[in-house]
Amino acid sequence: MTIALDKVRYRYPAADADALREITLAFGPGGVTLVTGRLGAGCSTLLLVAAGLAPHVTGGVRSGSVVTLGVDPASSEGRRQVAGRIGYLLPTPWTQLSGMSHTVREEVAFGPANLGWPRDRIARAVHGAMALVGIESLADRDPRTLSGGELQRAMLAGVTAMDPEVLLLDEPTLELDPEGARMVYRLLPVLARERTVVLATTDVDRAVDVAARVVLLDRGSVMADGTPDEVLATDGAVALGCSTTIAHIARVAGCVAPFPLTVRDAVRRFAR
Amino acid sequence: MSLGYRPGSGVLHRAHPFTVLSLAGAVAVLAFTLPAPIGPLLLTGGLIVIAMAAGVPRTLLTALAFAAPFWVFLILIHIVFGDSPDTAITVGSQITAMLVVFLMALAAVHPGRLVDAWLERAVPFHLAYLLVATLQSVPELQRRAAAILDAQRCRGLRVRGTVWGRVRSVVPLAVPLVLGALNEVDERALALEARGTSSGQRRTPLDPPPDRLAERVTRWLMLVAVLGTITWRIVG
Amino acid sequence: MIPLSSRLLALIPLAVGINLAMGKFAAALSLPLFLDTVGTVLVAALVGPWAAVVTGTVSQVAFTVLDGKLMWMAFLPVQLGVALYAGYAARHGAFASPWRAAAAGVVLGLVAATLSWPISLLVFGGVTAGGVTVVTTLLTAAGVPLKWAVYAASLSNDLLDKCVTFLLVHVVLISLPKRMAARFPAADRARGRS
Repeated sequence: MTIALDKVRYRYPAADADALREITLAFGPGGVTLVTGRLGAGCSTLLLVAAGLAPHVTGGVRSGSVVTLGVDPASSEGRRQVAGRIGYLLPTPWTQLSGMSHTVREEVAFGPANLGWPRDRIARAVHGAMALVGIESLADRDPRTLSGGELQRAMLAGVTAMDPEVLLLDEPTLELDPEGARMVYRLLPVLARERTVVLATTDVDRAVDVAARVVLLDRGSVMADGTPDEVLATDGAVALGCSTTIAHIARVAGCVAPFPLTVRDAVRRFAR
Repeated sequence: MSLGYRPGSGVLHRAHPFTVLSLAGAVAVLAFTLPAPIGPLLLTGGLIVIAMAAGVPRTLLTALAFAAPFWVFLILIHIVFGDSPDTAITVGSQITAMLVVFLMALAAVHPGRLVDAWLERAVPFHLAYLLVATLQSVPELQRRAAAILDAQRCRGLRVRGTVWGRVRSVVPLAVPLVLGALNEVDERALALEARGTSSGQRRTPLDPPPDRLAERVTRWLMLVAVLGTITWRIVG
Repeated sequence: MIPLSSRLLALIPLAVGINLAMGKFAAALSLPLFLDTVGTVLVAALVGPWAAVVTGTVSQVAFTVLDGKLMWMAFLPVQLGVALYAGYAARHGAFASPWRAAAAGVVLGLVAATLSWPISLLVFGGVTAGGVTVVTTLLTAAGVPLKWAVYAASLSNDLLDKCVTFLLVHVVLISLPKRMAARFPAADRARGRS
């Protein structure tokens, strides 16, 4: 397993309670894993801990063991070993701007250049990443003139250009319009074939289409872990408010679990 | 107003960034070591010629506009209320020369090329990053400051009144600006880490500018000229 | 060259941005202040003197580049003095109360004016443009010898400027939400509690 958390507790600095309580989870390649829950359930924190960014950058206290790509990503030795191999995408594109680029192409090249790759490798990586995300037409634009959606896609290209083995996405479509969001989600299963892709979002309606596995968190603990049907089509998930809109409607309309999760499911179930 | 990098194709734009910066540095020293008041005056004249030849007339005009208030004060202090016109001409020419060369350098050197040139010479990336990120963040924070100013004025912030009242008004302006910025530190730090800035590897310069022999020779000549005038001043 | 942590790499450009943006407020309020070291003093209180030194240096370079006047770099020693003083003052709890902050600020004003005096005089011939130079001009018109006019003008500006700067940083420190304050360990010492 690429990422293995064992009995991990984590508390932010000066916080009153643990953000993650005794979490034992493992992630690997082969399909997109959706991590979801109510606001504050700990989804973003889980990603930060898996990447070693917590506590290395955020401070706070972590206990338990985190092994990502074979090392503890929060230790100084581990950080150097995982640099560029764990891709992390934050919700707001603006704060991720390097500040050093005048074109989108340069911005996407920022990560690979930091890794010290030779120039031709960088050029190929940048070209490939921009093609994958579909932003070749933006290549020569100034990043500061892009819309939120375009910029977030450029950031995604910047992260994938580093060819990471792990891709952690924290609410990646917050700033995107529906079309842009759909484009991003469509990419994820493709990327997940060879890589470990973990997506933390409350946009369950869209994410459920691409997720092979769902982990439901509440107040820092794992509530459920399985296929989308096993986790989201249940009374519990809908009651928490963490399932899809369709499932919620179905429950209100008097159906019994397992609820349909998507429009297609609902049509199949009810169109008789 | 023409400040900062302006794309162009003049001789300065095509030169290696170090050459342009060496010119700026050389002028900065020569302005003080050449015999006053003729030296700085000729230096300024020479720079104006270079500026015209390099195709940056608007930058030149901006530089002269910046220099104007200095001249006004100098003339007042040293000619009208004082009696050393030579000092006024000397200091005025020194200031003008430096303004012209500096604005020209700013206009002709693309920050990305400069960072790449530094990286080729193994200047640590963190240093280069700090400077470039700063140059980007300053206009951003100034924009935010303007927005906060507008917002607080709408809420009745008193812009006139007693000195003490106005000093107190700085607080509801400064505190939101600072706290807003501090809020971002964590997220920006996360983003930097995520893009490999602590990889420990030497960063690859993306598009390093070529350094021709003629340019290196020119830089050495400038260094010699500078050292020469310094020596001459100390000895003579 | 010590590699800077990502947090410092993120903080310093913002602090420099604060240095160079505060002038807008002073101008809008028609106050004879620069407030151009608020960011540096803030970093001194939140992180420590050496981070403040880096902030002050980068700030001076940025100001020089953005203003287009290479001569401003001559004032670098003043920025360094401010950074070091603020850092050590913060370590000794100078920001614990408004009075201590104001007093420490006034002392810094004296230090800063004294540091910038020879620079103004030797490099600029007493002319740095702006409000300070107006005062200098008036004083020379009144017959005051140039070198004293320059010192008096700097002093009158710096005492108030640095005092207000320290007061502002004090207010920011006590307004910091708990979670943010916890990320900046030096802040507690600056506020007089450890």
